[in-house]
Amino acid sequence: MTALLEVRELRKSFAGVHAVDGVSFTVEQGSITGLIGPNGSGKSTTIDCIAGFQKADGGRVILAGTDIAGRSAHQIARAGLMRTFQTVRVYENLPLRDNLTIAAQQFDDASWSDELFRTRRYRRAAAAAEARARELIELVGLARYYDAEAGILSYGQKKLLALAAALMPRPRIVVLDEPVAGVNPTRIRDVEDVLRKLNASGETFLIVEHNVEFITNLCHHVIVLDQGRKLAEGTAAAIHTDPRVLEAYLGMTPEMAEAEMRGAA
Amino acid sequence: MKAVAIVIAALAFGVLPYLTSSNYILGVAVSAAIYTVAAAALNLIYGYTGLLSFAQLGFWGIGGYATALTVVTFGGTFWLGLLWAGLLNAALALVVGYPTLRVGRHAFVIVTLTFALLVTLVARDWVDLTRGPLGIPGLPAPSLFGVEFKTTTHFYWIAWAYALLALGFLYALGTSRIGRTLVAIKQNEPLVRAQGIAPMPYKLAAFAISAAITGIAGGIFAFHLKVIDPLFLDFYYMQTFLIMVIIGGAGSFWGVVVAGIALSALPEVLRFSSDFRMIIYGVVLLVIMLVMPGGLAGWIHQRRVARMRAALR
Repeated sequence: MTALLEVRELRKSFAGVHAVDGVSFTVEQGSITGLIGPNGSGKSTTIDCIAGFQKADGGRVILAGTDIAGRSAHQIARAGLMRTFQTVRVYENLPLRDNLTIAAQQFDDASWSDELFRTRRYRRAAAAAEARARELIELVGLARYYDAEAGILSYGQKKLLALAAALMPRPRIVVLDEPVAGVNPTRIRDVEDVLRKLNASGETFLIVEHNVEFITNLCHHVIVLDQGRKLAEGTAAAIHTDPRVLEAYLGMTPEMAEAEMRGAA
Repeated sequence: MKAVAIVIAALAFGVLPYLTSSNYILGVAVSAAIYTVAAAALNLIYGYTGLLSFAQLGFWGIGGYATALTVVTFGGTFWLGLLWAGLLNAALALVVGYPTLRVGRHAFVIVTLTFALLVTLVARDWVDLTRGPLGIPGLPAPSLFGVEFKTTTHFYWIAWAYALLALGFLYALGTSRIGRTLVAIKQNEPLVRAQGIAPMPYKLAAFAISAAITGIAGGIFAFHLKVIDPLFLDFYYMQTFLIMVIIGGAGSFWGVVVAGIALSALPEVLRFSSDFRMIIYGVVLLVIMLVMPGGLAGWIHQRRVARMRAALR
């Protein structure tokens, strides 16, 4: 496996508070990598810095061999890194169809004049985007809402739409910020299935999530942050029994955790 | 089917001079065409892109003065004047827009308002150029290929042709991916950026196009009035364009076109009661806003969404 995304010594502070304090990790090509940590551990700031939504104070972010640190958000998206947002973002007043096709339009060869005069190149690009949109909307199970406005969807459905939109331009990597927070528990399984299916077809994911079960089920590799630093990393199983993680994340010692496990069993 | 209906409607407005020879009615029709274009241009920057621009009033005035000065002071033709009005306004929009749009939407509102006030000051106080409060009376009738556009009927043709051209362009723009991207920028700018689209070129283009179209409209209107003075920059015009956009439904091409025509005619229809005319006009506007806060198009849209929701239950 090769490293698709490599984060080295990433730093970001706000008014003297070190939100991200020298975090390094890699995301392997074709993997599902999880990024977890208690509230305020710097997860969101980390991915905001990676995706260009905040400017890191220092460190490097290497995507497929190119250093993208310091580039603006739209440039990073064009380089092949698409992200979703913790508080779901969709175009509420546009149909699902447009929500999806807009996400791909920067990635085809139709220029502004092609668009204005509806040239053949524009029509070809639009048709390709439409086909991709139909395929993805089917995959996330929202096909019956295809022509409806995104505003009528439930919160969880909007998260699925945002996921589909992020996949539209066939990015190198998709960064998901809390993809199942606020999603109906019965639908979380569906999201897992969708992500697993996409991963099997070669898609790489970096997922920030609070739902430990979701991360455990899905991720090949998990990175744990605490107070802006990397606390631990490894397979989901290894993370579960790491005493430092239990202490920081769950606020309990290994003995307590064990006792709880026994109590649950 | 829809396209055919639109073409027929557009041509129907073209035969208006054959239906009436009343200069009064044709004069109202000229105003309606020009105001509707200016409102549609404001709709591009405000309705689609979500950037409230008061600079439209400034562009309108600059367009009027640029055209008038080209003809009167520099000896050019009316058509050359219109070209200057468009180019100058587009350039000014880029210069004003670039630094302002980097700051944010609220700054944009304030700066564009200041810009409009500044243009008013220039019109009044730069006497050497604009002749100050005295204005420039007696703007000559434009001519093309030896035909002089002297009468109101003639002027109606100019206004009608320009309205078709400008509205056709704005329609093509609004329904293209560019128009859809402008709407997307209004709705969720961070998401637009996350999808690899840089918002700035879109916003600047919308502002510059809106400025050029408004400026040319101003140029035509000044020659229709045959005089230009600082009153051409009266806030009445800005208010008219804004009311048309809001009543029609910000972001809806057809809503604004319908509102532009209807609201140009409304004060004239109310002339049966000259004392209460403007009061009735105000009351009508108030009632429309109470019943349809999203404007005409917003109201229709809401009903459609409600039907869709019901169908999906």
